[in-house]
Amino acid sequence: MRAAKVTTQTPPVGNGSEAARPRLSVIVPLYNEQESIRPLYAAIVQALGDIGCSFEMVFVDDGSSDDTATIARQIARFDSRLRLVKFRRNYGQTPAMAAGIEHARGEILITMDGDLQNDPADIGLLLEQIDAGYDIVVGWRHNRQDKLVTRKIPSRIANWLIGKVTGVPIKDNGCSLKAFRADLIKSIPLYSEMHRFIPAMASIAGPRVAQIRVRHHARRYGQSKYGLSRIYKVLLDLMVIKTVTTFASRPLHWFAILSLPLLAVAAVLFGHTFITLLTQRSAVSIPLAGSGIIFLTSAMILLFAGALAELVYFRGDLREREFLRLTQRVRRAPPQRPAAPTHRS
Amino acid sequence: MTLMPQSSTAPSISVIVPVCGRRDELRDLYLQYKQGLAMIELQHEFIFVIDGERSDAAAALAELQQAGEDITVVSLTRSFGESAALMAGFERARGEVILTLPAHHQVQPQDICKLVAALGSSDMAIGYRSPRHGGWFERARRNTFHRLVNFVTGVRLRDMGCGARAMRRQVLEEIDLYGDQHRFLAILANRLGFRVSEVALRQSPLDRRKRIYRPREYARHLLDLFSIFFLVRFTKRPLRFFGMLGAGTFGIGALLTAYLCVQRLAFDEKLSDRPALLLAALLVVLGVQVFALGLLAELMIFTHARGMKDYRVEEVIQYPEENAPLPSAAMPSTDGDLSQPMRRGTPPAIA
Repeated sequence: MRAAKVTTQTPPVGNGSEAARPRLSVIVPLYNEQESIRPLYAAIVQALGDIGCSFEMVFVDDGSSDDTATIARQIARFDSRLRLVKFRRNYGQTPAMAAGIEHARGEILITMDGDLQNDPADIGLLLEQIDAGYDIVVGWRHNRQDKLVTRKIPSRIANWLIGKVTGVPIKDNGCSLKAFRADLIKSIPLYSEMHRFIPAMASIAGPRVAQIRVRHHARRYGQSKYGLSRIYKVLLDLMVIKTVTTFASRPLHWFAILSLPLLAVAAVLFGHTFITLLTQRSAVSIPLAGSGIIFLTSAMILLFAGALAELVYFRGDLREREFLRLTQRVRRAPPQRPAAPTHRS
Repeated sequence: MTLMPQSSTAPSISVIVPVCGRRDELRDLYLQYKQGLAMIELQHEFIFVIDGERSDAAAALAELQQAGEDITVVSLTRSFGESAALMAGFERARGEVILTLPAHHQVQPQDICKLVAALGSSDMAIGYRSPRHGGWFERARRNTFHRLVNFVTGVRLRDMGCGARAMRRQVLEEIDLYGDQHRFLAILANRLGFRVSEVALRQSPLDRRKRIYRPREYARHLLDLFSIFFLVRFTKRPLRFFGMLGAGTFGIGALLTAYLCVQRLAFDEKLSDRPALLLAALLVVLGVQVFALGLLAELMIFTHARGMKDYRVEEVIQYPEENAPLPSAAMPSTDGDLSQPMRRGTPPAIA
């Protein structure tokens, strides 16, 4: 009723017509980028025109309060390759990214920032790596145009830490310019504020990740929407991702391991109590025996939690088998794909 | 909002009155509501939902029906609660605008039209009683409660207890109310990205009489706060919050244990004589448990993340190519699916 159905007709996509499926989808989350959106659109069209493969653009308007949606709609009106996904309100970058991925129809998905700091001309470089058989290609802003103290140094530390903890050593997790094989990224859960960790999240599927240097421009319009305050969130999220990706496939196993130290402490305390009982040298100590009981109970509850987690996994829609199939095919296949007719020179 | 002519068969406003615990004489109430609604030139229907065995209400409504009043009465076999009653009423509702009204005199019926009018610029309008009568203590209690809710959810509301709300049909279509959630309807709608506005309604003189709040009432408010808190915290990123909480508890326990161990080693105070050891053990274990619970919740979200989206798409806009072949008539058009906002649980319209 309120969403005036401006949409006239959607091209006959999805329903079996493979011919309409573009090779490439460029996904751009937009939040209050009214100045950037036109130059961005022009740059993408220019860059992909040079490459010469079929593509579509998915712009996600993350509840902007300025004219972003209006301008995007105007562009969509004369370019049918642009698809605009409009959020009801501002949800944040990860949901915007997730919505873009969901609505994209290409075989290869490219994500990039809407603030013109990424250069669409680099998309060709990413594509080359995908063609070489990689599942995920991550951009690396080696000549980053940002403030040193508040942006670059914290980011370098964070990247080092993320690499150490997740085992996916990527030099620049914050760079939005990335390329994914569509079937793989569509099967990776993406929620909360996980967009910075997509390669880490994807590690549950065991993809082949490449990283290449990309250009980075200074911000032309508007304000940066992030500050220093996100660091502690990044650290917490890192912990969350590490635990969840570890636990997700064999929950009972890991919960049992978590309960082992508790069991050990309980065993020591009970052992002490039994020895006192047997030797009858002194009265049984209530604090020691009580602590033993507490630790034992806790270990049992953890085991039950593990069983519960097993049930959760069993009822969920995450299947290791699926991931295995997705990446397995790539490992075996020679790094040759039917190349686009006129490849980037 | 489209104005429908009076002659149209389907009503454009559905009024749902859940008849639960607190209720006044329904005949009188109905006539007042009807009078209030007559000020809006839109066709409406009345749906009363009787929640469980309430013979007096059923009798009053049957009487009204016999007198020729066009009302729908839905009777539930047992008391399911107000949220369930609202949803049962909604299932029968045909209007584009859903108006919920309390089964007792709460607001002046003449003001109801303001609620509907507010939908011109928002998706949901909830009333607040103003000026509101009540002693200073009552006022302070209400203020504290609503301020706490605002703190937890970021939604500023003035009167969550007001049963008079108007909303677009879509709001209730996307919200699955259960339990006591009817009181948080505005918060839930806001979380789904609907625009919620508040409308000042005059308090009914019959609502002004002094009510004595029993302790149960206060307990309920506390419980509400607790539920809202978990709704917001636990359903989004549980491990972030509960991991911190668990780590904190664990840390305190570990410090206490370390202190006891130092005393044991340096000053030879025997651990077996220290009841504080029990406290330390409890804290350590509690920390681990809280962490494990957060982890369990996070795992639930992680393994179901593809099914539950935490965003709502308003519309997807794409124009066809000017000279592209039109989709054949045989092909089911995806137009409707794509222009409509995504419903919860439905897969994207893309194969």
